[in-house]
Amino acid sequence: MIIDVHDLAKTFRVYRKRGSGLLGVLRREPVDVHAVAGISFTVEAGEMVGYVGPNGAGKSTTIKMLTGILQPSGGHMRVDGLDPARDRLELARRIGVVFGQRTQLWWDLPLIDSLDLLRHIYRVPAEAYRRRLASFVDLLDLGPFLHTPVRQLSLGQRMRGDLAAALLHEPPILYLDEPTIGLDVVAKARMRDFLAEINRERGVTVLLTTHDMADIGRLCSRLLIIDHGRLIYDGSLAAIKSRFGGERTIVVDLEDEAPPLKVEGTTVMRVDGPRQWLRFERRATTAAQVISTVVASARVRDVAIEEPEIEDIVRRIYQGELEAPRGC
Amino acid sequence: MRINEWASLYVRLLGAQIRAQLQYRASFLLQVAGHGMITVLDFVATAVLFYRFPNLAGWSLGEVAFLFGLGGMAFGISDMVCSGFDRLSIAIQTGTFDRVLTRPVAAFTQVLASDFQLRRLGQIGQAALVLAVAIAIVDVNWTPLKLVVLLSALVSGVFIFSAIWVIGAAITFWTVQTSEVTNAFTYGGSYLVQYPMSIYADWLRHFFIFVVPLGFVSYLPSLYILGRADPLELPAALQLCSPLVALAFVIPACGAWRLGVHHYQSTGS
Amino acid sequence: MRLYWELAVRGFQRTVIYRSAAVSAVITNSFFGFIFSYVFIALYETRAEAGGYTLADALTFVFVTQAMIGLVEMWAWWRIAETVQSGQVATDLSRPLDFQLYWLAQDYGRAVCQLLVRSVPTLLVGMVAFGVRLPPDLAHWLALGPSLLFAVTISFAWRFCLNLTTFWWTDHRGVASISGLAAMLLAGFVVPLAMLPDAVRTPIYLMPLASMIAIPVDVFLGKLSDGRLIAALLLQGFWARAALGVGRLVLAAALRKLVVQGG
Repeated sequence: MIIDVHDLAKTFRVYRKRGSGLLGVLRREPVDVHAVAGISFTVEAGEMVGYVGPNGAGKSTTIKMLTGILQPSGGHMRVDGLDPARDRLELARRIGVVFGQRTQLWWDLPLIDSLDLLRHIYRVPAEAYRRRLASFVDLLDLGPFLHTPVRQLSLGQRMRGDLAAALLHEPPILYLDEPTIGLDVVAKARMRDFLAEINRERGVTVLLTTHDMADIGRLCSRLLIIDHGRLIYDGSLAAIKSRFGGERTIVVDLEDEAPPLKVEGTTVMRVDGPRQWLRFERRATTAAQVISTVVASARVRDVAIEEPEIEDIVRRIYQGELEAPRGC
Repeated sequence: MRINEWASLYVRLLGAQIRAQLQYRASFLLQVAGHGMITVLDFVATAVLFYRFPNLAGWSLGEVAFLFGLGGMAFGISDMVCSGFDRLSIAIQTGTFDRVLTRPVAAFTQVLASDFQLRRLGQIGQAALVLAVAIAIVDVNWTPLKLVVLLSALVSGVFIFSAIWVIGAAITFWTVQTSEVTNAFTYGGSYLVQYPMSIYADWLRHFFIFVVPLGFVSYLPSLYILGRADPLELPAALQLCSPLVALAFVIPACGAWRLGVHHYQSTGS
Repeated sequence: MRLYWELAVRGFQRTVIYRSAAVSAVITNSFFGFIFSYVFIALYETRAEAGGYTLADALTFVFVTQAMIGLVEMWAWWRIAETVQSGQVATDLSRPLDFQLYWLAQDYGRAVCQLLVRSVPTLLVGMVAFGVRLPPDLAHWLALGPSLLFAVTISFAWRFCLNLTTFWWTDHRGVASISGLAAMLLAGFVVPLAMLPDAVRTPIYLMPLASMIAIPVDVFLGKLSDGRLIAALLLQGFWARAALGVGRLVLAAALRKLVVQGG
């Protein structure tokens, strides 16, 4: 395994302000925040893992510990055989990091200058640099703006530049923190394709932190869900779908408004005028049965069947509606 | 990393900085001129006082100019080189320092190379001019040793001021906002060294000779070069000790930096 | 009117939260106060009086000017420029408020806070360490309030114009260094204007920046006899009004540019 995390914890001491008024802002009290409260997981080389959780759940803190930025308060971890807390400099050669909201490129210089600087920082041999640069220019279509100052690039172009920058030294592990945030649909698709490709063709292990569940759905075979500093789910995407994807929703448009329909095996989730959402378990009944019951008991204009979105499932796990035992 | 690799990387990173700054050519030139003028004005302010007063603690205008030039150059060069440390608080607040820690280069090197205020050349140039004029005006019995002392004092002064910048930056790891106390020591220090230290109260003078050794930037070496008697009767040998003192002062500065980075990694930002 | 009071309070609150900055500022100001005081002490070994200033006057000058740094905030005040860069200025301009007064009110609040938190402590340090003296008679005490008010107004107007230059130049650091240096000399900040050669002194005294520093200092030192005291206050008042007027012209120009270019 290339990433091994065991009982990792991180506690911060924060000073909260108390009081109001002219001088009230001056009083403060210390509070301990358990950003990460003991998480354990392993990642095998070549996996593409999604790491999700509500804001403030501890995602960024975990990534910061794995990349050597923060020292953990407890537990231990091994990344590519190294301890990030102790071997930061050596580890830095083997990881690539992309922060979606902060570029690592030099703002006022052309993209190519940044890549050239990074080549020297990471000590990439000249020949290897030329080769990799060429492949990135090709894969990410960097050609048109390679010589444009980074401050003049669009967000999508900058992200592509950041990807090339992060992978220039061919690290076996890539961390991505909100890489598709703010990108338009085309740019997102392009980035996902690129990530899928490098994972598949070059075996780069990817840890992807994101709020965009479509990223997860498209890219990741495995999902880690963290909330309040604890890992509440660790398993495959397929397992989530089959376990919680047993629910389906039928959307019924009636001719007139009516009180919530009572159909065996279903619960009415929502009523909006003449439209009602009925949720049912696959095991309890079938779509056909529900529809025929509804049609028999009321005047129906239209019917639609909704499959559960990963996004919904995860959101409900966050909100505690669905129990998510670790492992599956 | 071997020293020549380090130097090569540093120069490269610097080059990027400078190229980026030169992009804003008009603003850059304006600032060079501005900084130069501020330096001259600083000196003019002191010089104006000589319109009314015949001397400053027995030092003539030329001799005071010598102090000003030497100290000003040392400060200016250190300010130019260590600007990255001055801006560390911004890097911490914007999260840029995190990126520094993900790279396989020491944080110190990256911060050092992160900003290089080429526009300070205006300041350095003006201070050099004042120094040159002072040397022309004041009657000095030049010997090879005095020349060596002058140059080594300049280099030592750069290191001493730089060490203060580094310590100030290290403090930022705890306070996040730039501590004005640091500014008091750096910018305040640059003013402090412009005047003969004999005018200061004992406690102040002792502090700035034995604790934060700014006295070794211009005052003590100047006593030797200008051939002035020391009214304070300090050991004459001290006048030649600038390099040693600089070296000794740099060590706690590096220690403070290490502690600071370690603190950042424990508590985040 | 109430609204502007609220704004002043807001300006006060915005400044008072920076406790540690205030403490550090007092330290820095005191540090410089010490250095320059020692310089004058050494200088006055050679003669008892210069340009009408005794040593006691010079020491008071040093600490009063240091105390006024925070009040007048000549360096690194870019609040308005920042709102231009962030786009916030558009919202501010669309409010049913006079844009200049909107910022002026907040600045008064800031100034009062700085006065209490920075200026007074710095002055206390001077009084304890160097025997700095307070205004000698009632007339000067009464004049001090308006004098400081005018000084803050002039400094505000200056900063106001400076900040608005971001409408034309986006990189304002260059402007910063030039303006800082101009302020230093022309305000009589580093050397008492009284000590400058006579030929230069009077013209500089009449200029607006002198009204910002030199006149309040002279009021504090009790150096202006009745007639001249009134004249000095009138001069300050004149410059305050004029400076604000210039500010409004610059604002109008900036707005024209905004409309033409679409920000």
